[in-house]
Amino acid sequence: MADNKIFEDLVEFLKQKRDNVTFIDIIRLAEIASQSLQAFFQTFDATVYRELREIAGYIDAMRQEMGALQANEIKNSRIPAAGQELGEIVKATETATNTIMECAETLMAADAGDPAAYKALVDEKMLVIFEACSFQDITGQRIARVVEALQHIEERVARFATAMQAKDLDGFLTDSERERNERKERLMLHGPQEKHEAIAQSEVDSLLKGKSAA
Amino acid sequence: MAFDLSMPVLVVDDYNTMIRIIRNLLKQIGFQDIDDAADGSAALAKMREKKYGLVISDWNMEPMTGYELLKEVRSDPSLSKTPFIMVTAESKTENVIAAKKAGVNNYIVKPFNAQTLQSKIEAVFGE
Repeated sequence: MADNKIFEDLVEFLKQKRDNVTFIDIIRLAEIASQSLQAFFQTFDATVYRELREIAGYIDAMRQEMGALQANEIKNSRIPAAGQELGEIVKATETATNTIMECAETLMAADAGDPAAYKALVDEKMLVIFEACSFQDITGQRIARVVEALQHIEERVARFATAMQAKDLDGFLTDSERERNERKERLMLHGPQEKHEAIAQSEVDSLLKGKSAA
Repeated sequence: MAFDLSMPVLVVDDYNTMIRIIRNLLKQIGFQDIDDAADGSAALAKMREKKYGLVISDWNMEPMTGYELLKEVRSDPSLSKTPFIMVTAESKTENVIAAKKAGVNNYIVKPFNAQTLQSKIEAVFGE
């Protein structure tokens, strides 16, 4: 307001002195204009300063959240450990399956002509099968560890996404990711479904016969 | 059963365990000449060298799926009449419809039992 008054006075002054404006008048005018703009720049500086402080604060908070994410620990330790557990699970289930199948194949091919000998063979192989089934206990523990790792990752990612108010970008990170997704869609590669989503064999049979699924 | 148990059968699956299971079940039915392949392209190569009376194939394999194998088989005049059964964990309606359109003779969803496999094979040969 004071600045406006100064300008108003100045304009009035110049109107009155229209014909004999001196160099001093011009210098005075420049001074007043400069002082008015200084006030404006001070306000401007304060606003910019406040916004820069907010940005710095946001960057600081983001750094802290990124630290809390523990991305390096997840990448270098949790995920490789989970991958290793899954690899061990596959190996263990494969070994157990092969053992059980070998027992079954042996019994199927065995000569049942001698009942006592056959029974002894069956008893022997049944024990082997029971022993092989113990894989379930160990794989169960390994799976629990994988689930724990996934929960750990999920908690941290969820916290980070909330703090950053993250919005998902559309599209794929790499060409190979996009190609795999396109292949999945083109060839209908859904994989095993949950029980309530999977079509029953009877419905498959109906579809093949040309009847609509129930 | 009316179909010829001496006919060669090709089992296509990328899991050795599943091949072993199906092989054992086929032996129980009475089949003796059983070959296997780990994916559609390997199966196609075998089919071009030997005439199979029946193909039993999984769906989800790489590099060539069972679905792609089926379409290749049906588009090749020398193979197009080969009976083809899909045995797969792909259990969505769209998969069954697509396989039917592509000319599958029967479709078995995993997990399955020995009786189902036998009855579906018998159905293919008009039992």
